Amino acid sequence: MSLKNILENFSYYRRDAEAGGHHEYEHRFAMAIDLDICTGCNACSTACYAENNLPVVGKERFEAGQAMHWLRVERYWDEIEGDYPEQGAKMIPMMCQQCGAATCEPVCPVAATYHTPDGLNAQVYNRCIGSRYCSNNCPFRVRYFNFWSYYEDSWPEPLRMQLNPDLSVRDKGVMEKCTFCIQRIRNAKDKSQREERPLVDGDIITACAQACPTDAIVFGDTMDPESRVSKAWAKHQIHRGPVTAKKQKADEEIRGYRVFDELNVDPSVMYLERVRDTEV
Amino acid sequence: MKIVTLKQLVSMSLFALAVVLLPATSFAELPVPSHITPPVGEHVGEDVPQPIEFPHNRHVKDMKINCMYCHTYARRSKVAGIPPTSKCMGCHKMIATEKPRIQKLTEYWEKGESPRWKKVHDVPDYVHFTHEKHIKKFVFDADFPVEDVQQVCGLCHGEVREMTVAEKKKPLNMGFCQRCHEANGGPGDCWKCHK
Repeated sequence: MSLKNILENFSYYRRDAEAGGHHEYEHRFAMAIDLDICTGCNACSTACYAENNLPVVGKERFEAGQAMHWLRVERYWDEIEGDYPEQGAKMIPMMCQQCGAATCEPVCPVAATYHTPDGLNAQVYNRCIGSRYCSNNCPFRVRYFNFWSYYEDSWPEPLRMQLNPDLSVRDKGVMEKCTFCIQRIRNAKDKSQREERPLVDGDIITACAQACPTDAIVFGDTMDPESRVSKAWAKHQIHRGPVTAKKQKADEEIRGYRVFDELNVDPSVMYLERVRDTEV
Repeated sequence: MKIVTLKQLVSMSLFALAVVLLPATSFAELPVPSHITPPVGEHVGEDVPQPIEFPHNRHVKDMKINCMYCHTYARRSKVAGIPPTSKCMGCHKMIATEKPRIQKLTEYWEKGESPRWKKVHDVPDYVHFTHEKHIKKFVFDADFPVEDVQQVCGLCHGEVREMTVAEKKKPLNMGFCQRCHEANGGPGDCWKCHK
């Protein structure tokens, strides 16, 4: 990068993260998950298993931490000394947050994970050599490694018919993670191109959002100001880019937060805090 | 020394001329459409035996049937599609019914079965390829005459009009695709093709 280049394109290189930083985005897909209406039913996780050819690993391997659930529903209990422990667990569906400044990307030795013009963290299975640096560098722990070849175990003969042909069955030794259902995004884009119209909100629906019985998961493009997810982000005062100031919790209605926002990884998933009876 | 007469000389030279020219005229390469930078690469695929030895050359070169008359899904889906037996029978109920291959086809048709055609041009499962987009870009959007579509198809499928059953003549590997994408402005993003 020469000095001339910097001087000539100064405004481009100084573009802030909210405008996309050094990326040329076409879309920035994002989610908004309302934990207040999430019942923790695990339908999203099940849908993800079915959609993305995820292997069911069995009890022993699950205990060894080798489960392959791209979307897991985490449970958190109030402490026993807390006010109302009998209220039960708090649930949070946790999948790849498709960070704008992803920590997994720069550590990959072979560039198997990279940022797409859609604002997603892509994982290219053919290129992955299984170094697992990305998983170790992910603050959310949402990358899953194929320690085994699950093809024979997980899908014995007739079950193979249920595999989704729109994405590959990963083999031993590669890393994988939530893709925001890239195959559905691709199909929706092809469809909109065929009909010669721009992609509109609602064209793409991820498997988890489709399966959610309470519509807690909303998926969309934050670069489209009219999309449901942009409106939700704006309403709860969540913006792209790094966190600049500690949010003032003035309004009870503003419940939005991003997990580990303080790490400035710019996650694409906004959660809406659960409202407990005691807090109302 | 044998004396060669003028008549012999003329006939010999005519024969020599014919030997040189004939292959050139009968195996003339398909012209490359001017709006496409063609992909580069050759490949020698193994023979794929088909249940019926389908003569592409007869249909394409002699009968001048458009590729997309039989491979009708090419312009609207990912796969070009193998025509259903009913499409074959649409013509061959009447045409060339005395030929053994057609009789074999008719047998299949009357049993209500379809011949198990084998796939020749098979890209790996981790590749997303759509015929539709390529046909749209290079034929319909480019206002390329649809009757000459075999020139576009031939860039990846070779000269099918010279083959009987289809043979794989192009490598169809990542380098082959990527070089063409670079030359013709196709997408370069990994996730556009890999899945």
